[in-house]
Amino acid sequence: MTKDVFEEEKAEEGFEPLIVAYCCNWCSYAGADLAGTSRFEYPTNIRIIRIMCTGRMDAALVLETLRMGADGVLIAGCHPGDCHYQKGNFIMEKRYDYIKKAVESGGIEPERVRLEWISASEGGKFAALVREMTEQIKELGPSPFRAVDNSKEGAGNE
Amino acid sequence: MSDKEKLKRKTDAAIDALKSPRLRWVMGRSQVKMEIDEGKYRKAVDSIMQEENERHMISGALKEKGVLTVEELAELTGLQPDRIVQHIIALRRTGAIIEAGEKNNQYLYKLI
Repeated sequence: MTKDVFEEEKAEEGFEPLIVAYCCNWCSYAGADLAGTSRFEYPTNIRIIRIMCTGRMDAALVLETLRMGADGVLIAGCHPGDCHYQKGNFIMEKRYDYIKKAVESGGIEPERVRLEWISASEGGKFAALVREMTEQIKELGPSPFRAVDNSKEGAGNE
Repeated sequence: MSDKEKLKRKTDAAIDALKSPRLRWVMGRSQVKMEIDEGKYRKAVDSIMQEENERHMISGALKEKGVLTVEELAELTGLQPDRIVQHIIALRRTGAIIEAGEKNNQYLYKLI
């Protein structure tokens, strides 16, 4: 739906997406940290928010993040079986199905939301994922909820 | 109403639906071992999710405009009038909305 409505905005060149990443404290956040300390290069379009576990993440928070103007949301947790709290990531995996459906019913492309497993040793994977997701969101175009059209200045180049 | 406004209304309803106790309760059930069929359970959650979305679209429109008829609600939400009547019956039963007069031979409804 949003694809047709905001075709003009998407056509603008130089759009820099804003991606909010919710990373679990024990694996993905450490993975993101490793990506930094290992000096892997990845786009600056991502804003990382540390959470204790993906299983603790409220489903409504994803939709609220998109509603507040984020172009994409990444939820990153420990690999299945590696959760610090035993089954937090399994809880998120189930909840993710509903999140996708809710995002779709809210009129937003479900491709804007992704759930990935990143361990503390996968700095390279994190960097590659951010690169890939940035490209994916660029193809989708800006979120319809962007308060200010910063497609020219670029949200990630602040 | 512009497409952007319609989209905002739709997304806000989806957020409210996700926060609703009814949907939270059924979504939370997936975390415990159940004796019911997984397929049936998912189907039930999907239908509850859709119902909650639609009800929050109705209550969102009523919150914004005050009092509205079924026809006006259909126009604002994009839902079919018969579907709105079904939700109004359910919402009236739970005491969420009441009748508030008449307009063009149609009942007006408002949130409590």
